[in-house]
Amino acid sequence: MIFHDFGMTTASLAGSLETKLAAVRGAGFSQVMIAAADVVAHPGGTAAGVRAVRASGLEVTGLEALRDFEGLDGQLHAYKVDVAKAMLEICADLGGRLLLVEASTSKHASADAAVIARDLGKLALLAVPLDIRIAFKGQPWSRTARDFRQAADHVLRVNLPNLGVAVDAFDVLASGVPLDDVDILDPDQTFLVQISDYMWQQIRSAEEQRATATHFRVFPGEGAHSEALSQFIARLDTIGYVGNYSFDVYNDDFLQMPPETVAMRARRAAVWLAETVLRRALPVPNIERLRAASRA
Amino acid sequence: MTQATDRELIPEPQNPLGLDGIEFIEFATSRPQALGGVLETFGFRPIARHRSREVELYRQGTMNVIVNAQAADVPRTVVPTERPVISAFALRVRDAQAAYRRALELGAWEIPVRALAMEINIPAIHGVGESLIYFVDRYDEFSIYDVDFRPIPTVYPHPPAIAGMHFFGIVQYVGPDRTADWTAFYSQLMGFTPLPNQVRFGIMPSGLLLESPCRKFFLQLIEPEEAARFAQAEEHLQRIGLGAPDVPAAVAELEKRGVEFLATERVHSSERGALTKPLPGGMMFELVKSQPRSAGAP
Repeated sequence: MIFHDFGMTTASLAGSLETKLAAVRGAGFSQVMIAAADVVAHPGGTAAGVRAVRASGLEVTGLEALRDFEGLDGQLHAYKVDVAKAMLEICADLGGRLLLVEASTSKHASADAAVIARDLGKLALLAVPLDIRIAFKGQPWSRTARDFRQAADHVLRVNLPNLGVAVDAFDVLASGVPLDDVDILDPDQTFLVQISDYMWQQIRSAEEQRATATHFRVFPGEGAHSEALSQFIARLDTIGYVGNYSFDVYNDDFLQMPPETVAMRARRAAVWLAETVLRRALPVPNIERLRAASRA
Repeated sequence: MTQATDRELIPEPQNPLGLDGIEFIEFATSRPQALGGVLETFGFRPIARHRSREVELYRQGTMNVIVNAQAADVPRTVVPTERPVISAFALRVRDAQAAYRRALELGAWEIPVRALAMEINIPAIHGVGESLIYFVDRYDEFSIYDVDFRPIPTVYPHPPAIAGMHFFGIVQYVGPDRTADWTAFYSQLMGFTPLPNQVRFGIMPSGLLLESPCRKFFLQLIEPEEAARFAQAEEHLQRIGLGAPDVPAAVAELEKRGVEFLATERVHSSERGALTKPLPGGMMFELVKSQPRSAGAP
């Protein structure tokens, strides 16, 4: 398979967890990003949700998403630590090795870099015994990190091996982060790349950007920014990124379509990226390991 | 002190917890007598039993070993099975509650308090795998064992160590590419320092050594070898390293007591160290040339 480092999220699909997993697998993917709600909302309980994921045979790209974690104090902080610990335990139970953390949008969150570093460091240390990596992702409407550049600043400040950044293609497409800024990323501390496109040529306001990001994303190759997206992926490849790509597509229409159909669209996107953008003609087993070894 | 010095950046103390060596190492097994037999061949003596649980204290010299046959009923902790495993180690610290609170503040997992009435609550955090790390601050005038344990009658409570043996360290097996994570864990939470790769003790060459801030013992992190990198393996505390000032003398003494040491081309006893053959239950001990560090030594 030439796209085995590509996966999709259960959040893009309608139906029960088992239906979603079957659709992902049926489309030929070997890994899946798990939206925590899909596991804990399982009618048989969280343990049954975990069993379903384990039984699917799919590798777990990671669990998403811990939100509004960093920058809080007192009771709020203690509460969020409890939430984080519960998510870390679910992630470990799933056999996942990555927890996606989205930069805080809470009005209560401090934007003080020292406070954010303290909290991200704590989260990373909590994740060590469970063998989980923390992927911190900026969001345009966040108070603590608006894009991967700011997320990378926080990660660098904390300087722990299991804390890295998640990069969302949306940063480059919609927020106007220059492509050259991809070069600031340390490929070893870049733990996940999420990709999606959208239909509009232009986004007119912050509100529209947020609405687009959360409701109108489409798969790569289906949107209006194929060229920019291609350049973004190619640039990541150039800097030596060898981790996973996850389709992070939130689209209300997709939730009204059969999950098999949506998963096949994801597959089409994966093949397009692998063959056209990354120019992988031949399936090479263990390609990341080979590439990591050649870099070392 | 002047105001100017007050404003100076005070560096993080090198021994933030006031760490002062290992108070005890705990094994869990459902066959405590079999393990006790093994410990006795190494010179440990059973000296006390827990008042309410199936837990025994073995000792020689400065080393305390706890044999625990009872499950803790806490998620992610050892359920004793026939095969003995290292289920915990206890660190001597200046102030156990302060050490515990600091660890939680920085990102450790707490263990729910489970002390019964009239028993000392020893604060603990999750360590590697299913193991625990305890913090103990009562080891000078009176010890944790004075309250929770009942001495075994007629047994001398301070059996001397064979050949000057003392705790040297604990070997921890970690997953592929996990050395950096665990180094961060022990250095951030407890002030351990990784030693340069050329610093080696004993005869086992692999792994990264972390020195305790009290410089009284080491943790050694060992990743799987190449061929085993992609096999599924749980991370765990694998074996205890016992320090001895004169390893050949210690080996000779232990051999007299029936302990067998590996003598292969790759691993064999020497001045530097020795490794036992797997003992009943699959345990191993390692001997390492080392002088005991006295209490309070830098």
